[in-house]
Amino acid sequence: MIEAQGLTRRYGDFTAVDGLSFSIGEGEIVGILGPNGAGKTTTIRMITGFLPPSEGRVTVAGKDLSSDSVGARGSLGYLPEHVALYEEMRVVEYLAYRARLEGVRRSRARGLIADAVSRCLLEDVREQIIGTLSKGYRQRVGLATAILHRPKVLVLDEPTIGLDPKQIIAIRELIRELGRESTLLLSTHILPEVELLCDRVMIIDRGKIVAEGSPESLRANSAGDSTVRVVLKGSPPDAASILSALPEVTRVEAAPNGLFEVICAGTADPREAIFRTVVDKGWTLLELVQSRASLEDVFVRLTTHEDPTAPPVSEVVAHRDENAAEVTG
Amino acid sequence: MNAFLATLSRELRAYFFSPLAYIVMAVLLLVNGFVFWLIVSFLSDPRAAAGAPLELFFGQTFFFWLILLFMTPVLTMRLLSEERRSGTIEVLMTAPITEAQVVLGKYVAALSFYIALWVPTLAYAGVIARYSAVDWGPVASGYLGIAGVGALFLAAGLLASAVTRSQLIAALLTFVILVPMFTFGLLENLINNEIAKQIFGYLNLWQHMDDFAKGIVDSRRLVYYASATVFLLFLATRTLAVKKWR
Repeated sequence: MIEAQGLTRRYGDFTAVDGLSFSIGEGEIVGILGPNGAGKTTTIRMITGFLPPSEGRVTVAGKDLSSDSVGARGSLGYLPEHVALYEEMRVVEYLAYRARLEGVRRSRARGLIADAVSRCLLEDVREQIIGTLSKGYRQRVGLATAILHRPKVLVLDEPTIGLDPKQIIAIRELIRELGRESTLLLSTHILPEVELLCDRVMIIDRGKIVAEGSPESLRANSAGDSTVRVVLKGSPPDAASILSALPEVTRVEAAPNGLFEVICAGTADPREAIFRTVVDKGWTLLELVQSRASLEDVFVRLTTHEDPTAPPVSEVVAHRDENAAEVTG
Repeated sequence: MNAFLATLSRELRAYFFSPLAYIVMAVLLLVNGFVFWLIVSFLSDPRAAAGAPLELFFGQTFFFWLILLFMTPVLTMRLLSEERRSGTIEVLMTAPITEAQVVLGKYVAALSFYIALWVPTLAYAGVIARYSAVDWGPVASGYLGIAGVGALFLAAGLLASAVTRSQLIAALLTFVILVPMFTFGLLENLINNEIAKQIFGYLNLWQHMDDFAKGIVDSRRLVYYASATVFLLFLATRTLAVKKWR
């Protein structure tokens, strides 16, 4: 449903997106992950036809964005990162205007608006003027706008930003439901959200795809070191050295309050050995937990740059934010 | 067509829901009322030369141009600048609508509102008709002139609004375009070179309105307004296409 080939966007000397190619099939829910300034929003803006790419091409639902822009945009629903609405309109008025803009017939519009209002939990504010709505409601009006005309492809840029936890759950539920009807591209930096919602994840950094796959496969492939958390009552002084002598254990980090982090290579599981050692030594074991590599670890590992010639990540990100501000601000 | 109509109706609604529109309308009626009163009281002096009040009203006084030069920037400054400043341009331009449809929708809305602003001045013609004879031909051509010059000025304003995301700069820029457009024509009277005189004469808006008010409809003038309007709207469309995401 979405095909991107060699998608590149430069702002002056700065390359925000660098030769991205990907393909999203019908009915897929794909997440784009990446640190701030990685090029997520730039990518999304090129897919939705708002920003012309410097190089490369995009087709949406089989229609090329450069040759049949209006056609491609017609099969697309879009929730931008910053939801901007006409402040002076009432919610239903705005939705009626959007329906007309999308070319929905008047006879169909009424039903579609009612449906979008109820799915995005907007019943309470139907007649309210948009300028008076809270951030959470505005976000939901933006989402209602995106889904209103039942587009084949939905592109959501940070859909749950600014919502309270209860609303986040409701909107995630809605997104999952929408994923059954249309192809969905979702950008977020909330990692659990990706794990909950997406079939496939693309991790983008410095304008390039650095990893791609299902959340599970990304976790499995990245299995670097695994860590076991051990808490011993009274933190026995020789525990660290004894534990690190166990087979498969690479090192042990002692923390205050009897916490020891036992790090071992690959998928090794030293929990049994640790337990027997504790019993032999007569220590009191309070906690023994193996922590699996989370998507968060994968993300941090892929997007942290240890190249000594490169500036630290924080600086890179700050620098890019400046660039982004110049471009959008 | 649907997308054009959607833009048009949303813009018209935005005009009638904004306080600015009513301020413009109030100022316009206040100034016009004052000018009309001045003209009528001037002409009712028994020593005054004979004249038709409505002829003087359309374009013969400097007030008319003052209103037009200040009013059109205020009407158009918001149109595209605000979409870009607030970011609504992003959801607008990702909908299935072309830049030309956006520009035309907004332009037709501005022109309709502008014409609506002048409708109350028909009352002046009504007042005159009650006490004396009115030659309706020149009145009609006077309004045609108002629509033509307004169409041109509003197109310039829309282009300025496409260029910048600041409404203030858009208004100032419109003013900067309109003042030379207006004053170039006045050079006709200051220049001796025959060819230059003709060129400036062709562009002399004051003279145009003078003639329209007398009932002279010169099609060259209408061609000038129409072609300049189309050109300015074309530039606005191109500007929007290039600048929408900046």
